[in-house]
Amino acid sequence: MKKSSIAGIIIIALAIGIIISTYADSSTYGSFTDAKKSESELHVVGQLNKDKELFYNPQQDANYFAFYMRDNQGLESKVVFNGSKPQDFERSEQIVLTGKMVGNEFHASKILMKCPSKYTKDEVEVTEVSASTAKI
Amino acid sequence: MEIQYIGENLLPGKIGQFFIILSFCTALLASISYYFATTTNLSKDALVRAGSDGWKRIARIAFLINIAAVLGIGSSLYFIIYNHLFEYHYAWAHSSKILPVYYIISSFWEGQEGSFWLWMFWQAVLGFVILRKGKSWENSVMSTIMLSQAFIASMLVGVEVFGFRIGSSPFILLRDAVPGPIFQRGDYLSLVTDGNGLNPLLQNYWMVIHPPTLFLGFASMIVPFSYAIAGLWEKRYTDWVKPALPWTLFAVMILGTGIIMGSFWAYEALNFGGFWAWDPVENASIIPWMTLIAAVHVLIAYKNSGHSYFTATFLVLISFVLVLYASFLTRSGILGETSVHAFTDLGMFWHLVLYVLTFLFLSVIFLVIRWKELPITKKDEETYSREFWLFIGALVISIACLQILATTSVPVFNAIFGTEIAPPANVIAHYNKWQVPFAVVIAFISAFSQFLKYKKTEPKKFFVSISLSLLFSLFITAGAVYIMNIYTNVMYIILTYASVFSIIANARILGDAFKGKWRLAGSAVAHIGFAMLLVGALVAAATNKIVSINNTGIGFGDEFAKSNNPRENIILYKDEPVKMDRYTVTYLGDSVQGVNTYYRINYKVINEETGKIKENFTLYPNAQQNAKMRQIIASPDTKHYLFHDIYTHVSSVPLKEEDHEEHDGHSDDESYEKPLTYEINVGDTVRFKEGYILVKGINRDAKIQNIPVGERDIAIGLQLEVNSDGKVYPSEPIYLLKEGSKFDFGKKVDEKGLKFRFTNVFPDRNKLELMVYQKPKPEKTWVVLKAIEFPYINLFWGGTIIMVIGFLLSIFRRNKEITQA
Repeated sequence: MKKSSIAGIIIIALAIGIIISTYADSSTYGSFTDAKKSESELHVVGQLNKDKELFYNPQQDANYFAFYMRDNQGLESKVVFNGSKPQDFERSEQIVLTGKMVGNEFHASKILMKCPSKYTKDEVEVTEVSASTAKI
Repeated sequence: MEIQYIGENLLPGKIGQFFIILSFCTALLASISYYFATTTNLSKDALVRAGSDGWKRIARIAFLINIAAVLGIGSSLYFIIYNHLFEYHYAWAHSSKILPVYYIISSFWEGQEGSFWLWMFWQAVLGFVILRKGKSWENSVMSTIMLSQAFIASMLVGVEVFGFRIGSSPFILLRDAVPGPIFQRGDYLSLVTDGNGLNPLLQNYWMVIHPPTLFLGFASMIVPFSYAIAGLWEKRYTDWVKPALPWTLFAVMILGTGIIMGSFWAYEALNFGGFWAWDPVENASIIPWMTLIAAVHVLIAYKNSGHSYFTATFLVLISFVLVLYASFLTRSGILGETSVHAFTDLGMFWHLVLYVLTFLFLSVIFLVIRWKELPITKKDEETYSREFWLFIGALVISIACLQILATTSVPVFNAIFGTEIAPPANVIAHYNKWQVPFAVVIAFISAFSQFLKYKKTEPKKFFVSISLSLLFSLFITAGAVYIMNIYTNVMYIILTYASVFSIIANARILGDAFKGKWRLAGSAVAHIGFAMLLVGALVAAATNKIVSINNTGIGFGDEFAKSNNPRENIILYKDEPVKMDRYTVTYLGDSVQGVNTYYRINYKVINEETGKIKENFTLYPNAQQNAKMRQIIASPDTKHYLFHDIYTHVSSVPLKEEDHEEHDGHSDDESYEKPLTYEINVGDTVRFKEGYILVKGINRDAKIQNIPVGERDIAIGLQLEVNSDGKVYPSEPIYLLKEGSKFDFGKKVDEKGLKFRFTNVFPDRNKLELMVYQKPKPEKTWVVLKAIEFPYINLFWGGTIIMVIGFLLSIFRRNKEITQA
């Protein structure tokens, strides 16, 4: 057999291995309901509930950040993240969490935020100069 | 009614838009004319062939106008940004008045349109070089390059055709791009006082130079692609390799440099704490780089042995298609949920798809048409030959690349097949699992194949020459893994061994080069650099250590504490040293410079026995505070040593409150603690937290601004002296009795956070009433920070620099081969 054919066979074998590995390592997108049923880590997409308080008090614990998120099915859950509050968190439009459910809390190991970009934020900020009032 | 807009400067935009249309038309014309110049020249009919020169002349003129148009677009856009013409959306969205000039350049390519322009500019420059130096290749090569140029120009057109907007123009007006009631006003421009500004993370000197380098790398990949197409088209199957080879090396060198600059920017300016994160956007840029590196090796194999023709052509072609695929990934918004820094879709999704598919079909069609004629050897390569191992090496790189491509493309599969596969939960482990073994194989091949000759090598001789290096590397590896502390992981040891072997084997080749065999110097240097890069990346990534591990936080329940994540952030109070790892770290305070707040973090290493300070340095990580958004944007600071780096960024800081002005219904007194009321007389002292107040006397002739004091009115000033910290601050609150009514005018001593009111006079008791307001003591200031130690990271940076030097040497050599031929 030609050596390049052997190389070809090896390549095909490796390519199949890669595809299987990609699929095996891949996680799934789910909801908090799915997370409750699942033991392994999964991705939950949702929005920050801006009405409820974000909890981050570094003087108490610099590695505890908690907030409430609504997943895409509308279910809300408390989320705990073992780290500091990510920058720009309040402005996030969409959050992708990686983690799992522990009791009634979702423990996130990774938070990925989508913030409004310059293109979607397009609101012109207007500054109107008002006459200064006399003060004592 | 038509609104008359005041103050708009519409001319530069119109000129710019004209140049865009012009650049599109001339690129298309040049491409078509070069096409006919090529096909007529291929004709057997001498009369038709004579027409080729006419086409060529048209094509050249069109191309030169195209260059002028591209420069025109750039100048117009620069003029708009530089002069802060915020009536244009691009200037408004990406720049602001306070930006210094060098960042105005970065804001130029912050948006998609600007980066497309950059690509177009480089393509024009490269085209010009081909025009001057391309000789017999000019027609066919330029035809492809100009097709790509037309595609990019069409991305900037921004004109609606049949209800579809084609491309996105950088010259669109703010009032057309953004809806808003203020555009009902003719004088809206007077209300738009400043632009959005440049993303603070991009305000870094690397961001001035990284995008142009990266785009030159992307742009230059069209040249080998066009040569490969031209080779198939004109049936010059063997000829194209020689002129294409230096271009391929050039593209690899520049793109590699661009990627590393991005990596260094991420390390210096971003706070994810590393130099590579396997982010889809990073992957998108490294995928074509890897296929082109593989292409370089098989091109050389083909040139010297006649083997691997198809692999070489295929890899060159696919590399440029992958460049286009990369720009599709980053610009179409498809990465949405998987990447932090991809662009959002500008409505060019299908436009980008078309661009990728056009060049993919072009490649496939030429390969299929010419398939039977391709010089594919039927003969088998010798196992002990360089060409065989160059081929195998290229295959391994390609498979490694395929793995990155497969995982990065998950969102694309989802979009095509409607699946919902998420990327791996632990991305870095997933990639490393595959890439480390590939790196081992590549490092080994890059070492021993240097000792193989083309065609056939005597196996015995070969093994004798490499065995010494293999043995020698074993000792060095043993020492290195011990010093670098990576002996616990077998895979790490093997990779180190492979890399050390590669360094030593190539160093021997380099040694021969100094004896006069200069030909292999470039490859030896590049391979040494690559092997160093591997070791550096491995060690820095495997053994970087979070210095700021914190176990002092008050727990939030056992369940939370059990989680195995290290607690990576630590709080530091001002002037309170904390022991972290071997460092004693103190937060010394902060200072504001422009928009940035710099936090002074002092690191000391103290010998515990002698108390002597061994190391002492201060880092200045900074954060941009945006009180309105209640957020910070932090950038790290790093102390570089030869053998390790200390990297620090703040993760959280107290937000500075905006000074809000006093206004109705919001009493100034709210910011003070409850006042204390004293009855006093001249000569008395009143104590407060940080000192005492002396009542000096009474001013019976006090004046009040704006209020006339009548003859029967009484205005008395109370002369006070605040003593605190050895300093004296005078103050005089005033009491006024006007037409029978009492008023009082308080005075503040802002330095001490004090306010005094002289509120009453009791003549019967001979006492005066003084109210003392004091602001609450400011909280202890603090920062939360994260510190990481990166050992031996200079191996990584040094390796990349050496690798680039190696490429440069190879380019000189391959370029010389053309001129000699």
